[in-house]
Amino acid sequence: MIEIRNVTKSYDRIKAVDNVSVTIKENTVFGLIGTNGAGKSTVLRMLAGVLEPEQGEIAIDGLPVFDNMEAKKNIYFIADEPYFFANSNAVDMQKYLRSIYPDFAVEDFNNYLVNFGLDKKRKINTYSKGMKKQLALICGVCSNVKYLLCDETFDGLDPVMRQGIKSIFASEMERRGMTPVIASHNLRELEDICDHVGLLHKGGVLLSKDLEDMKCNIQKVQCVFKTIEDEAKVIAALDIMKNEKRGSLNVLTVRGSKAEILAIFATANTIFFEALPLSLEEIFISETEVVGYDIKKLILG
Amino acid sequence: MTSKSSFLANVIENNKRRLWVWIVSALAFILAFPALTALTLNGIARGSKWVAESYGNTIAAEIIRERLVNRMCGMMGMNTGMLFLTSALALVSAIQGFSYLYSRKKIDFYMGMPVKRKKRFLVIWLNGILLYILPYLAGLAISMLVAAGNGAMDKTVWMSAAAAVLANSLLYLSVYHMAILAVMLTGNVVITGFAFLIFCLYEFLIRVVSEGYKEMFFRYFSYYGSDKAPVLSPFMMYINLSSKFSHTSHLSAKYLIGMLIFAAAVGVLVYICYLKRPAEAAGKAMTFEITKPFVKVLLVVPAALFMGGVIADILNFDPDLSMDGIGWMSFAMVLTVLIGSGLIQVIYEFDIKGSIHKKSHIVISAVFVALIFIAFRYDLFGYDNYIPNQNQIKSIAFVPEYYEEAYGGAYFDRNGSYMSGHEYARKNMYLHNVEEICDMAERSMKAFNQIDIYTADDTYDRGTWAYATVLYRLKSGREVCRRLWVNVEDEQTVQTLDHIIGSEEFKKGFFMGASDTLTAMLENKEGKYKISTSYGNRIYQQKMSDAQAKEFLAIYQKDLALANYSNIKENIPVGILNFAITEEINGSFYMGANGLVSRASRGWDVGMYIYPFYKDSIAYLKEHGYYMDVQVKLEDIAKIQVVNYNYDIASAMQKERLATAGASAIGMDDPATLLELGASGKLDTEIDARVYADYTGEEQIREISECIYPSDMVNDDWDNGKKLDTNYQVVVYFKTDSEMTKNFGTNAWYGFPEGQVPDFVREDTVYKE
Repeated sequence: MIEIRNVTKSYDRIKAVDNVSVTIKENTVFGLIGTNGAGKSTVLRMLAGVLEPEQGEIAIDGLPVFDNMEAKKNIYFIADEPYFFANSNAVDMQKYLRSIYPDFAVEDFNNYLVNFGLDKKRKINTYSKGMKKQLALICGVCSNVKYLLCDETFDGLDPVMRQGIKSIFASEMERRGMTPVIASHNLRELEDICDHVGLLHKGGVLLSKDLEDMKCNIQKVQCVFKTIEDEAKVIAALDIMKNEKRGSLNVLTVRGSKAEILAIFATANTIFFEALPLSLEEIFISETEVVGYDIKKLILG
Repeated sequence: MTSKSSFLANVIENNKRRLWVWIVSALAFILAFPALTALTLNGIARGSKWVAESYGNTIAAEIIRERLVNRMCGMMGMNTGMLFLTSALALVSAIQGFSYLYSRKKIDFYMGMPVKRKKRFLVIWLNGILLYILPYLAGLAISMLVAAGNGAMDKTVWMSAAAAVLANSLLYLSVYHMAILAVMLTGNVVITGFAFLIFCLYEFLIRVVSEGYKEMFFRYFSYYGSDKAPVLSPFMMYINLSSKFSHTSHLSAKYLIGMLIFAAAVGVLVYICYLKRPAEAAGKAMTFEITKPFVKVLLVVPAALFMGGVIADILNFDPDLSMDGIGWMSFAMVLTVLIGSGLIQVIYEFDIKGSIHKKSHIVISAVFVALIFIAFRYDLFGYDNYIPNQNQIKSIAFVPEYYEEAYGGAYFDRNGSYMSGHEYARKNMYLHNVEEICDMAERSMKAFNQIDIYTADDTYDRGTWAYATVLYRLKSGREVCRRLWVNVEDEQTVQTLDHIIGSEEFKKGFFMGASDTLTAMLENKEGKYKISTSYGNRIYQQKMSDAQAKEFLAIYQKDLALANYSNIKENIPVGILNFAITEEINGSFYMGANGLVSRASRGWDVGMYIYPFYKDSIAYLKEHGYYMDVQVKLEDIAKIQVVNYNYDIASAMQKERLATAGASAIGMDDPATLLELGASGKLDTEIDARVYADYTGEEQIREISECIYPSDMVNDDWDNGKKLDTNYQVVVYFKTDSEMTKNFGTNAWYGFPEGQVPDFVREDTVYKE
């Protein structure tokens, strides 16, 4: 488990991360969302032990991470612009990482290179940006560490590759309990990958929740009421976050469990009723509105 | 704990990223070094045929062997080439090794890895040393094999090479640490380069500024004890170490330990900076925010003062003369503060607009510059009035400048090392009449402060004021050095000078002949110096055997005890005992006119005046046939020619002509200046008022010969004593069958002491238009 407690970090007297507290559970995919400058990279760099927090504590499985080998042995950090040695190829990187990470999976590494279509003898500086990101991910996964920290790593990957990475993550999580922490400015990028999401804004955490929990507390339904009285009665009883009306069709996003919502609708007559799936974006809109933010401005533009 | 295998793996992995530095180092040492050695040996071998033809086979073999050994000592020992190569490699290795700290990408990669910071440091640091030392040792070994194959290796070369390995390694370590420190304090390579340059030059800049301002504003500033060469510089330590080794064939522990301490101290600082260095400093100008204002002020202030000094130099600014030019100096200093502060802020921010930021730093720098300038200008710390408290003084060394330099002024210590007169006095002169000397200093300074040294006639470097270097040794161990001007005609001063110069302590530290060093050098036939002793009167001299020279020295030392300031001043020496000291230069030969092969050598002279009151010395000289009259013997003279330059008349005529030419405003009355101007073509009014008079009559010759002395035997240096009348030159032509013609030549130059020109000569040589 990664615990970030009241962590603060400034650059040139500008606070990049301000009193952030987040807990990242094992064997989940944690998404760290935020706009540019929200402090995602700083949080990840502190998690990786690259930066030292000014205040607060970061513990990896109970161990402080900064310059602590025991803690860092469990971490692999893929920066937003991954570094590879000048004029090196994938094999050179593999050799170096093997000298650092004793459990480096050489066979898996070679297999992944083949599967992703990366030539292991080709110089990395001739790879495309996406290929470099793939290689960085392969390096991270094959290091066999518990926590894989990815900073904007999915940015630039095509859907097929993203799917490939997702399946690797899934199998590694299942096989050895790997915990990826993925930072991104793009909400849609993390939608189908994360179990838990932390939203950073201006150096602070707006929210940190399990996606399932969030989904359970918000429902989206479309319905046609029989009478205006029925409509008024239900709407009065619901905690409505959004109500779109197209003719007689009401599309409602409401707060509450599915059972509670169904119970309220049961008290009125409806001609048509259907529960709709919620996108991560819709969940975020609703959750951030609670704390007084307009998520569209923050994440979606 | 760091496991050995993982450390080794890290070392190997790190070296893979430093291949090009290894290649450069290997090319320099393993390829170029032996190749140069081979080429040098080949060059000497190719010249051997010519040497054999010129000098003969037996001597040629010795010449060639010495040349080979000397060149190998030069190549494998400490030398300028190695100084540059070692420093350059240290800089490159430091920057390349720690350059990852400049890049955020690299920092994220390396510092994200489970490798301890101290282990990473150790790996990079160690590799930086290995990539110098291994190729160096390998190249040296190959070069030695090549040299040995050509018979160019001997004990001397081994010793030079071993000393060089130690010295070069320490130099490398020192410069390497300095360069790493520059990396640690900065965030990109260009700024690191600047920082390294500043580390190399900063102390020198401070010393130049400090010494320059002392020289500019303080009358009693002494050049001795003022050294512009940096002390805390590995380069200077290396140069000193190398120089000492070349003179003594021993490594100076002082400089070795100095370099070691320097390297260790900077190394510790480097390590602390490394541990404290924040990762986010990558790409910035300075790593530690807190250092920014200090660095700026510490750079701008001496730079501004330096520029002020440069302008003062250009304008020939002299506060003793006038304050003209101080405005320009101030302007230069203000401008340097503004530009310097702005430039550094631009570098800090990587933004040209930064030049107008942090105005407070400009103000602080300007205030410091002003304070320092005022401190020098008004001598706020009392430098120019400072005489240490008598109770704090342990002893004093008093060195009158250019005093009693009987032709040669060389000094040697007991180990046979050449040194300056000041250094000799520092080591050997311990005067304990502190109160008397301090009183004289106080009195003299008070009087000299009243003198305008530019307008008073004949007071600056001749006449009644003369300067001595005074070294006060304090009980605390500190040494204070001042130039002291004394009035050599002042009664009280003369009394003190008699006590000083008459004392045994003074003589031990001022006259080489008063110590046993020369006797020891005469006895040491195997020493590196050869001594040849002679006695003469600057016209004619005779060689003296070593045994007699030793005997004579013992007698001279007793007579020297009789000498004091007054009797030296009042007497014209009867002769000079001269020790010509030569040192052969190894490997350098020449064919003399007599066809004999000799080694080239360098030489020094130690001369000692013999005064008429040195009765025992004169008796010894007479007894052993060395004595000669300082004055020319009447029976040797065939003719005397007197030349009177009539400077006063020439000067008066010059003035008249200048007045006629409308140049009287120049107000020049110094014949030398006029002659100089005439020679430079600025004035076409050169007056030649010389009048020649030849004398062949016995009576006239007798009268003249009683008044003339060899030019070099009469001097008033420092003590304003007897001096020759500069108007007259006397050429004595010897008889063809005289001893002088046989032993010396057909004629010699003499002069009249002031006030001793015979009337008939005066009348005969006066200028008439």
